[in-house]
Amino acid sequence: MTLHYRARPRGSRVRTTLLAAAVALGFAGPAPAHIIPPENLHPVAEAYRRATFILNLNPVVWAQVETDVTAIADHWRNIEPDAAEAFEAAAAGIIAGASDNRREAAAAVFTLLTRAVNAIGQAKLALARQDLGSREPVRLAMREARGVFGSFDDVVLATDATAFHIMGQRWLELSSAIGSPGLLGRGEVPLDRRRFDRAAADIAAYADANFGADFVPLPGRALAPWPMRSPTFDASAVLPAKLPPGSNINKQLPRPRQILNMAVRGVDERDTVLIALGDMAFDSPLILGDPARSLGISCNTCHNKSLTNPNLFIPGISHRAGGMDVSNSFFAPHANNGHFDPLDIPDLSGIRFTAPYGRNGRFESLREFARNVIVNEFNGPEPDPMLLDGLVAYMFEFDFRPNPSLDRDGTLSGAASAAAHRGRKIFNRPFAQMSDASCASCHVPGSNFVDHRRHDLGTVANAEAYARDGALDTPTLLGIAYTAPYFHDGSQPTLRAVNDWFNTSFGLGLSSAEIDDLTAYVHTVGSGIDPFEDTTFTLEAEMEEFSFFLSAYEFLSKRNKTDLLTATFGTIALEIRAHKWDLQDWTHMPVLDRLAGLMDEAAAALQRGDRQRVRALVGEYRKTYQKHRKHLV
Amino acid sequence: MPRLTRLPRRPKLLTCLTAGLLLSGSAASIAPAGGDDDNGRPPKPPRLTMDETSPPLRISFISYANPQQVASDSETICRYLEPYLGIPVKGYVSTDYGSSIEAMRFEQADMAFVDPLAFMMAHEQIGAVPLLLEIYATGNPVYYSCIWVRRDSGITSIEDLSGKTIAYADQVDMSGHLLPRDIFARAGLLGADQLTGEFFKQVYFAGGDEQAVRAVLNGFVDAAGVSEFSYLLLRPEERDQVTVIARSVESPSHLVMARPGLPADLMARFTQAMLALDPDQPQDRTVLDKLYGVQGYTEAKFSHFAEVARIAAGYGFVKKPDVFAAEAEQDGP
Repeated sequence: MTLHYRARPRGSRVRTTLLAAAVALGFAGPAPAHIIPPENLHPVAEAYRRATFILNLNPVVWAQVETDVTAIADHWRNIEPDAAEAFEAAAAGIIAGASDNRREAAAAVFTLLTRAVNAIGQAKLALARQDLGSREPVRLAMREARGVFGSFDDVVLATDATAFHIMGQRWLELSSAIGSPGLLGRGEVPLDRRRFDRAAADIAAYADANFGADFVPLPGRALAPWPMRSPTFDASAVLPAKLPPGSNINKQLPRPRQILNMAVRGVDERDTVLIALGDMAFDSPLILGDPARSLGISCNTCHNKSLTNPNLFIPGISHRAGGMDVSNSFFAPHANNGHFDPLDIPDLSGIRFTAPYGRNGRFESLREFARNVIVNEFNGPEPDPMLLDGLVAYMFEFDFRPNPSLDRDGTLSGAASAAAHRGRKIFNRPFAQMSDASCASCHVPGSNFVDHRRHDLGTVANAEAYARDGALDTPTLLGIAYTAPYFHDGSQPTLRAVNDWFNTSFGLGLSSAEIDDLTAYVHTVGSGIDPFEDTTFTLEAEMEEFSFFLSAYEFLSKRNKTDLLTATFGTIALEIRAHKWDLQDWTHMPVLDRLAGLMDEAAAALQRGDRQRVRALVGEYRKTYQKHRKHLV
Repeated sequence: MPRLTRLPRRPKLLTCLTAGLLLSGSAASIAPAGGDDDNGRPPKPPRLTMDETSPPLRISFISYANPQQVASDSETICRYLEPYLGIPVKGYVSTDYGSSIEAMRFEQADMAFVDPLAFMMAHEQIGAVPLLLEIYATGNPVYYSCIWVRRDSGITSIEDLSGKTIAYADQVDMSGHLLPRDIFARAGLLGADQLTGEFFKQVYFAGGDEQAVRAVLNGFVDAAGVSEFSYLLLRPEERDQVTVIARSVESPSHLVMARPGLPADLMARFTQAMLALDPDQPQDRTVLDKLYGVQGYTEAKFSHFAEVARIAAGYGFVKKPDVFAAEAEQDGP
């Protein structure tokens, strides 16, 4: 068998330079496709869309909204300073009183924002029309106007496709009417003022009518720039799910090296169909509900290869990269707890040894925890019991990283440093300030550094005086060297900061040198061999993994698990398309397209009840993959 | 053409083929020149003692999006070249070819990174000479322009675009206008000497490759005529929504040119230092990464421009295309 989660080491230069180029040039490809570049938006559009997203949340993170209001005001200030000042003051006044009525305050701020964006766009367009004597200022002003009005594009596209199309042509009219300065006196094309004015007037009129001074939000609907005055506006249109600018749900590269117990033991993966099903489910957005499903979010998005994803960030839902509020109003409004309580994403390595689950240990069972994530955190349908069994079976395979500095019983081996050995003594020292407990009392070395209990150390702000709502599950220290930041909310950036916090909070009286030693010990405990893959080329490993998903086909087919088969085919097709641009030799791109297409066809045949055709398509997938696998890297 | 040079090492050619595009000819007619070592590259020239008192070699770098980044990158190139040239090297950033050429006209710049159209015009007007063609990640110093349509449009040939709309990048743009327009001219659908024609219902100039190909994606126009690499400006999830229905003749890649009168030995040392850059050597890779991410260079000859000169002449940008054919004879074997 193959250790199918190990990407084969390859030279990473090409990929590195591709990424560098993407960054340097600010364009979307050829970065790895599963690294989704940020949308290229004008700063005003970026601030407007982000603020709009956050204003629709409950609770609203007003501090971020204020930042975006300021960004828009600053941009406006350069053109119309008085209007910008008035806008910023009005928004600040509303935000100051927002605690009294979130909904009204959010609607009022959104109204101001929308009118402001339209005003800025109109001003830029007017500037372009005034400056027609000189081509370059016109071109720049037009581009600025286009960028600012781009704030509304996604909503206009979804709800007023006819106008979106017409306005798109008007912008092309504008850029064409500007003409060209030519080159070295040849090829000059003069400005066409009439054409320019005509197109600009149309754009200005549409924007003013829909987003101008008398704009108000559409009652009973999400706060969005609905173009209600447009005769072609479709009030029944549904806005597609979209994350706000500033979001990052990309997985990390290089990837964490995942240690699966079955792989380490050399088990033939064709014999582990339940684990294969769980692996597929872990990577599948299709087991979740909208909006996570539409956005391509899966368990693997946050727990990348079972480790934490330190990059994950969604404005208004995350407090910092690597964390988010999982009881929010965006992903699952029905299970929103109504307050902003983001958590740092935990590492799932060795999860079979670390019950209970959830930062506050609210689930004794991993199965119940997984179900809650699917149904209540990400709005999914009630999962098939077999799917939950699979997920648990798969997650139970997540091993801690091998650590040569630790013996089997959790004591330090001879490989550990002298500082770590000194730190171990401090770790095991009882402190009167901690009711004679030591660090090791909770992080029990002989028990994978957990005690399976919950403790309130004062890291959670209580709801009220004397409330007892701050207890948290003891986290393991194994693997902790790779999961910064620390604490349930990621408030401590380093292991040293964590030890400083304990020293200060409990008045332990440790010297700086002792804290250094203690940190060396914790770091040694939390380290491991080869924590990350040594390549950024992941397609080969991903393709192997998709074959593993498909190894559950016969098992699921025999049990008539149509939904699980549909999810399996759909997930493979989705994943292939998400990774296809990672291919190093694009001459083989048609093979990837074919493989994804076979999975689409298999899903369609399954829906028709044509099981024979499904079997044939699965067979063709396997055959095609085997034939071309060496090229799919 | 957008600076999308850091592609995976193989071209998108077969992807185009599978989209139903039938292409005549296969291998690029301009092949990287053979060199003196196993990699086809000459050795680095001998290092010279630095003459700080010498006037510097002044190179004009073109910036398409981020002048600050290009300015920073140019420092790496200048520091690389100095030991081989023995004189100071200074980089300047320009945001348009016209400025670079004017700087060369008035001997404020000695060399410049330009596109083929800018070079041909510079040659005609100030006698600029071609030195080096860029080798792209496709392995060749050439590129093509394509006619892009939405994959679900039902449009499969350029004839299908009769009475429809098209967006080009800019009026004065080899890959974003003249080359794609030539596709229609060669098919007899447009006159070969006019920038507009009755074949289309409407012709737009979108202001850039991305704007043009995005106009197709969004359905604002039926087609776009821009570089073969332009679809990479779309987001990954958008790229499969557009496809190519026709491809232009081959164009030489962007190049480095020199002003007339530059000492021959200086040009020779510069050329050798650049040709010697090996993308498989980490130190050289660092330099190439700062040079728009190209894979290397090959010697540029006048003959490489003969075909595109003829096309550019059709629209009045090049007055004497035969000059390039005549110069081609001087290229030698």
